[in-house]
Amino acid sequence: MEYLVVLLLAVVYFQTRVMELKRSVVCLMAQSAIIACACLLAGLNHGLMHALIPFALTLGVKVLFIPMAMLKLIKRITDEREIFSDINVNYSTMAAAAFLVFGYVLGSRFMLDPLARDFFAATIMMIMTGLALMVMRKRAILQMCGLITLENGIYLLGLIITEGLPLVVELGVFLDVLIAVVVLVILTNRMSLSFMTTDTTVMRKLKG
Amino acid sequence: MESFMGALGLYGLGTLALIWPKRLELAAHYVSMGLAVIASLMVLGLASQELLGLAGGGMLQFGRYSLVIDGWAAAFLVIIGLSGTAVSLYGMGYGRGYLGARIRQLTGLWNLFLGSMVLVVLAGDAFTFILAWEVMALVSFLLVNHESEKKQVVSAAYQYMVMTHLGTAAILMAFYLLGSGAESFAFADLAHSDLPPMLKHIAFGCAFAGFALKSGLMPLHVWLPNAHPAAPSHVSALMSGVMLKVAVYGFGRFVFEFIGADVFAYGLIVMVVGLVSAFLGVLYASMEKDMKRILAYSSVENMGIIFAAFGCGMLLVALDRPYLSVVAFTAVLVHSFAHSLMKCLLFMSAGAVMHATGTRNVELLGGLLKKMPWTAAFTLVGSMSLASLPFTGGLVGEWLTLQGMMTLAYESGTPELRLLVIFAFILLGLTGALALGCFVRLYGVTFLGRRRSNLVLKAHEMPFTMLVGMGLEALAILAMGIMPAPVVNLMRHVLVTSPLAIPAGDVIGLWWNGGQSESVFNPLLILLAALVLTALLLMTISSDKIIVHQEVTWNCGTEPTRRQQYTATGFSKPLRRAFDFILKPRRERVFLQRDHAYFGRKLHYNLLIPDQFTDRLYRPVEHIMVKLADTLRIVQQGSVRLYIGYTMIAMVIVLIWGGL
Repeated sequence: MEYLVVLLLAVVYFQTRVMELKRSVVCLMAQSAIIACACLLAGLNHGLMHALIPFALTLGVKVLFIPMAMLKLIKRITDEREIFSDINVNYSTMAAAAFLVFGYVLGSRFMLDPLARDFFAATIMMIMTGLALMVMRKRAILQMCGLITLENGIYLLGLIITEGLPLVVELGVFLDVLIAVVVLVILTNRMSLSFMTTDTTVMRKLKG
Repeated sequence: MESFMGALGLYGLGTLALIWPKRLELAAHYVSMGLAVIASLMVLGLASQELLGLAGGGMLQFGRYSLVIDGWAAAFLVIIGLSGTAVSLYGMGYGRGYLGARIRQLTGLWNLFLGSMVLVVLAGDAFTFILAWEVMALVSFLLVNHESEKKQVVSAAYQYMVMTHLGTAAILMAFYLLGSGAESFAFADLAHSDLPPMLKHIAFGCAFAGFALKSGLMPLHVWLPNAHPAAPSHVSALMSGVMLKVAVYGFGRFVFEFIGADVFAYGLIVMVVGLVSAFLGVLYASMEKDMKRILAYSSVENMGIIFAAFGCGMLLVALDRPYLSVVAFTAVLVHSFAHSLMKCLLFMSAGAVMHATGTRNVELLGGLLKKMPWTAAFTLVGSMSLASLPFTGGLVGEWLTLQGMMTLAYESGTPELRLLVIFAFILLGLTGALALGCFVRLYGVTFLGRRRSNLVLKAHEMPFTMLVGMGLEALAILAMGIMPAPVVNLMRHVLVTSPLAIPAGDVIGLWWNGGQSESVFNPLLILLAALVLTALLLMTISSDKIIVHQEVTWNCGTEPTRRQQYTATGFSKPLRRAFDFILKPRRERVFLQRDHAYFGRKLHYNLLIPDQFTDRLYRPVEHIMVKLADTLRIVQQGSVRLYIGYTMIAMVIVLIWGGL
């Protein structure tokens, strides 16, 4: 389990430094795979069936379906305009580090078990970094990556706090994410068709 | 009590005019208005029974909600019933003008409006009260907004809606405070609400603001002169004549039952606000040229008199002389009753004039007496009454108000309070004099003299139902003016039995004047004396010795033309000069053509009397609100990333807050 936390942190850090679309989706895939493993390990305490179903779902939805859909989208979109993030990548990495410290400060108050504290800090960092990615990146795909990171963080937080969510809730969460991503993929596709770019700052024109 | 449900049911049936088929819309109109007349008559009959003590109160309980009737409610139900009957009769004829212009909606909502007012007065708990109050507000908004093709109407209606909802919010607050003290919303429990003094002051302030707004007291009156001209005439008659009184009813409930008048400042505030409204209301009324705006400002004046009397009564209660406050509170009821009669009558006649000529601007009228003699006669009665001349109902209430003030001065014992009463007398005296001028101007310019435009040529007398509606009110005003004792006694009886519960024996006679002296006002005797004197005078002068020469009026050697008559603007000019420090009139003269210094020059003259409260109070508030809203727009940049950033900041704050 401890290795998983370290791996997870490493992947999220790496994610803050990636600006290329394809690579960031691959990062996301790795991150989701780590979550799936954590899910399996946490679930084993409660019986095999209870561990396998969330594992399979995470694997199916977050590791395979969503990244595949995003990769397919990346192939299709053509950004005629060159997009640069107006915020340096170093800032997002710094922010992620700050969030990790913040997570540990909070974790030392809420969690007594050291392992749970590590996980808690990691989830806080993931949630906040996901939000930060959405704020700091201009491109729609990168913002989607931020959303999934946020979502993964929340899922993991639920997992360590409750030690296994009820199956219905898990199914609901997955359906939610699935639909959100499908909608986002369609929207990004439409956006690329209408605006010839996936730069979300052009959406400001829609303001009345 | 159960019989009131019958009346409410009839109003409900009348509301069904909304869903009659389109091709039967005239039938729907007549049937619904007929139902409104019958239901209002029923309300009048039942409430009179209650007043005379034949029915003996009652209560209908539906779970936590209830309908209650007592004397105070019955007095106002009589107002609703009487004016409802007369105006509905008038509406039968007047509403026909809206054939093809959503007449079913007009008639259906009319019934709902009347029904909701009855329900407000009958309500026995805060929830029912607020529900009925809100229905009343929304339905009257829809009725004001009826001619929504006109831009002016829509803006007036929306102003009314915003203002009336501010009022409802204030009343809701008052109920909430009282209800949280009593832990119940039934009126019977609210009476025992146990609030700390500070909260009680706030509750009183909220209640007074809410009801003052609905009654159109200054400075919350701004909706009134705009809403009344916008509404169809019979609707403005009902709004001005009856709906404003419903606010008096609500305020009375609060004062008598829930909050009490034992704090001196309460009475003082109510009285001063009332006096100022009375004076400024009639001053603005004298300046207006639009018939309905004149009447609307006159409503402000009369509600001011009613609230001044109310404040006077509250002061007497606070001075621990509740048995003397009966005079002032009787004045409230009597003047509410009289004002409802006369204001309904005058709005109906304004509607008749509009119906006949198509204009509300008095400057375009004149000489209507010959064209519409009956309407003119009824309007004369109403105008006399509003100017509080003898032999009309309008005098009785004002007389009682002055009597109440005298009692206050006599009983106060402190020079400060006597000064206040002197101030009150000055203002009420000015109000009376200005009201006389205002209605001489209204009646004279509209019905007397010669025509000021060709619109008058097509004028005609009104159909029968409209005349019956106006005639009923005129008769009631005259009856009340000549024999005021029954009405006054009934109203006093209401007060001594239910809300004040004072032993009746303490009040000596009807026209009580403090100390040991007693004064009696008996219009019947005066009328008889006046008739005898007139007969004598006629007999002496009507001999054939008198020679009458009919000559053209002397006009410096030229024939007087129609355009040389006194105009309404000219008539009120001295007042404008005398009170220009309050009115601040804006005049604009544009010389269109100036060939010669004195002759043959064309002048365009534009006079504007801005409402000072709108300029000084509402505009700045509006300005500040808009500015604040503009400042808030900085956070709304339209950038998705910024919005996510807000979420992120909020989340960090929540986490830190949770962690500490």
